[in-house]
Amino acid sequence: MNSTATPKSKFNLFNLIVVVVIALVAWSWFSGKSSTPQPDAQHDSRALRVLAGSELKDIEPLLPQLEKDTGVRLKLDYIGTLEGAEQLAQGANYPLAWFSHAKYLELLEGARARVVAREKIALSPVVVGVRQSLAKQWSWDKNPPSWSDLAARAAKGEFKFAMTNPTSSNSGFSALIALIAALSSDPENFSLTPAQQQTVQDFFKGQRLTAGSSGWLSEAFVREQASLDGIINYESVLLQLNKSGQLREPLTLIYPREGVVTADYPLLLLDANKRADYDKVVAWLKSPAIQERLMKDTDRRPILPSIALEARFGSQTLIELPFPGQRSVVDRILTSYLDEQRLPAHAYFVIDLSGSMQGERLSALKTALLNLTGGDSSLTGQFARFRAREEISFLPFRHYAEPATEFTIASGGATENSLADARQFTQNFVADGGTAIFSALAGAYTQMAHEQIQYPDRYYSVVLMTDGANTSGMSLEQFKSFFRQLPQEAQAIKTFPILFGDSDNVAMQQLADMTGGKVFDGTKNLGAAFKTIRGYQ
Amino acid sequence: MNRILAPVLGLILLAGLGYAIFNSMSGQLALKAQITISGLIGSEKEAFFADPRVQQALLKQGLIVKTEKAGSRQIATAFDLKKYDFAFPAGQPAADKILQAVGKRPTYVPFFTPMVIASWQPIAKILEANGVVREKDGVYYWFDLDRYFAWTQQETRWKDLKDSAAYPVNKSVLIRTTDVRKSNSAAMYLALMSYIANGQRVVASREEMDAALPKLLPLFLRQGYTEYSSEGPFENYLSLGMGSSPLVMIYESQFIHEALKTPSGIRPNMALLYPEPGLFTRHVLVGLSENGARLGQVLSDDPELQKLATEHGFRTTDTAAFKAQTDNRKLAVPTELVQIIDPPSYETLEGMIQSIEQQMK
Repeated sequence: MNSTATPKSKFNLFNLIVVVVIALVAWSWFSGKSSTPQPDAQHDSRALRVLAGSELKDIEPLLPQLEKDTGVRLKLDYIGTLEGAEQLAQGANYPLAWFSHAKYLELLEGARARVVAREKIALSPVVVGVRQSLAKQWSWDKNPPSWSDLAARAAKGEFKFAMTNPTSSNSGFSALIALIAALSSDPENFSLTPAQQQTVQDFFKGQRLTAGSSGWLSEAFVREQASLDGIINYESVLLQLNKSGQLREPLTLIYPREGVVTADYPLLLLDANKRADYDKVVAWLKSPAIQERLMKDTDRRPILPSIALEARFGSQTLIELPFPGQRSVVDRILTSYLDEQRLPAHAYFVIDLSGSMQGERLSALKTALLNLTGGDSSLTGQFARFRAREEISFLPFRHYAEPATEFTIASGGATENSLADARQFTQNFVADGGTAIFSALAGAYTQMAHEQIQYPDRYYSVVLMTDGANTSGMSLEQFKSFFRQLPQEAQAIKTFPILFGDSDNVAMQQLADMTGGKVFDGTKNLGAAFKTIRGYQ
Repeated sequence: MNRILAPVLGLILLAGLGYAIFNSMSGQLALKAQITISGLIGSEKEAFFADPRVQQALLKQGLIVKTEKAGSRQIATAFDLKKYDFAFPAGQPAADKILQAVGKRPTYVPFFTPMVIASWQPIAKILEANGVVREKDGVYYWFDLDRYFAWTQQETRWKDLKDSAAYPVNKSVLIRTTDVRKSNSAAMYLALMSYIANGQRVVASREEMDAALPKLLPLFLRQGYTEYSSEGPFENYLSLGMGSSPLVMIYESQFIHEALKTPSGIRPNMALLYPEPGLFTRHVLVGLSENGARLGQVLSDDPELQKLATEHGFRTTDTAAFKAQTDNRKLAVPTELVQIIDPPSYETLEGMIQSIEQQMK
């Protein structure tokens, strides 16, 4: 506990010279070493691992400088917000964690107990980017709209926007909390009257692109900007989009009148033994020079009040809306979004039941689908399962495509029954025969094209799971020409292929690219892939 | 090349250091030893202990002090106190909580600071128009807790107030605090508001507590998410501004310390409101080891350290020194505070916090 040392008061000149010479030699040795980093730096066990939100990827270019200045190397492992919180609550072994905010994490009993220290590093409000011409037309550039103004435009189909899934990603989560607090007549209680509930539904009629991560959302927005009017994301992401030169029309940043929810990027210490390194990293990140750089390079607002904000951040007073202090309130808001407020989803599962799926692969598939039908009782599992009002179509295929079997997930007390029906159906899957991937997929698109006409206010998507190459029916090339004949709206429906077994990864990537979807790797954990895709449905 | 050089250089380094240490030690072993001690502190004292002048002054007394910050009220429960030489929470109740955990130990109160409300000129003007704040001597504002308390019971919103055009917000008029379960500054707010809820008397019995609690609960529950330590809300106040933090319960020392910094985060449109009645937070050092107790002694007695404390915005028994600091920077703060109340007993305050905790789950 106590250590004693002796003061140096009578160092003579010779001693001093000895020490200085040694210090110089040592210094040149150490500095020489650090200027030639090992090629396998990625796997260096000395690196401090950080469980981080994917929105922090743009911090990476600063990390070599951090290591140079402090000797501490950070290695960021990316994960979704709620999933990260859940993993920490379950004891995932990370000395540090870093998310755009840690409010949900701190509301989870098990995760909160692990946080030894926390320091906010920067700020970025979650705001609404609107095409400049629309913002001008509606005078939103001069008079910021309220959240209900946005809802009114969305209900009329005049404002179609991109926003992440609030149960997977922090930007969507923050936007949802802000929306509810803004519309509620009692924002501290997050309670809604039936009329306000309707306004929330109106708002989400405009959510025409969703995603499980903020970064993917902005990439997809760039691809689909022609059919969208705006995007909800961190101010920093929107400022970077405007700078990127990828937009045909710049976005006007809208700070809704009732207020916003701001991310504060806390760096969390989880392992008390790493306190010294943590303190160094925090001191470095909060130093004026680095705070300036964070502002200039990553478009986040500095946490240091002494640093003047650059003009592009605007000068308006940002009203910060309340954030719930109880997990039950947050869970209620998220559940209500999924079961009542968002556009109901219609998810197509095009599933390979060919002979090669027999055995372990089939049981992995059944487990994954069991989880989506209520078998996963974890926090994220509950949000990821099929939700009320959702339509689920299963299109199993062998050397031929089976007709679709559809389940409508009922609301309220009847949800469990409809989940049980879907569960029973999938647990009876039997694998045999060949692999007609593209015929089955074409069948799904044909059906969706019809459904879209009858039910335009649904969010359609396809999950394609196959463990091998196409052996019968339509070829990839045939599918491509079929796809190009589809109506424009049907071509906008994304396919999310899952890599599994001996799947044809090149073809899967082409499908994802062609439909605007994304490939997920299910080779290590098929259930996790299915679960992650739920954030994109 | 490095692989061969490294051990060789390492040996040379060791040999050289050993030689140098041997030489400098010989003949002066009798000199007073320096002692490294470690302790847990409330976050509001982090800057004080990090100040090189403070470290130098402590070194003169033979002390090297290592600190870790924690929510003052967490110190007693969330840490293994055997590993530390001292605990230095904010607030007598937090210190009492530690003493309950470790038994009788020496305590020192080297400095103290009143609870204040960090706010903004436009907000103060609105509150003034509505009779909750009044200006005195042209600069600082007295904040009428009694009238404010009535608003909280009616869930009054900013946009409902008279002349609130500068802040037409649908949020409740609520002072933001830290998490009352974790941090002293929120507990001090509870102490103040329980006095008001109890009809201007310090809550002293179970009956009074039970009567006051239903009125006090919304002050905390309606805040929603709260932060763990007192620097959190103040940081939000400084960097997120009026839209996030119209009224924040802080220690006066936090504001003064920030004002004395260069560059400073304090801007001309900020305002400091003094609640009426007021309450002092005593910064109580609990000596867990003999050397930890010496730190308490030194902080209380050493004139240089006492002066440095005032430079960090704390008040000491030397009111003139405090006044000199604030006058120097033209900071208008009251030297004397009248109508100061005491917090309730440790047991009463703990009891109230536990009841609130039950409701926050």
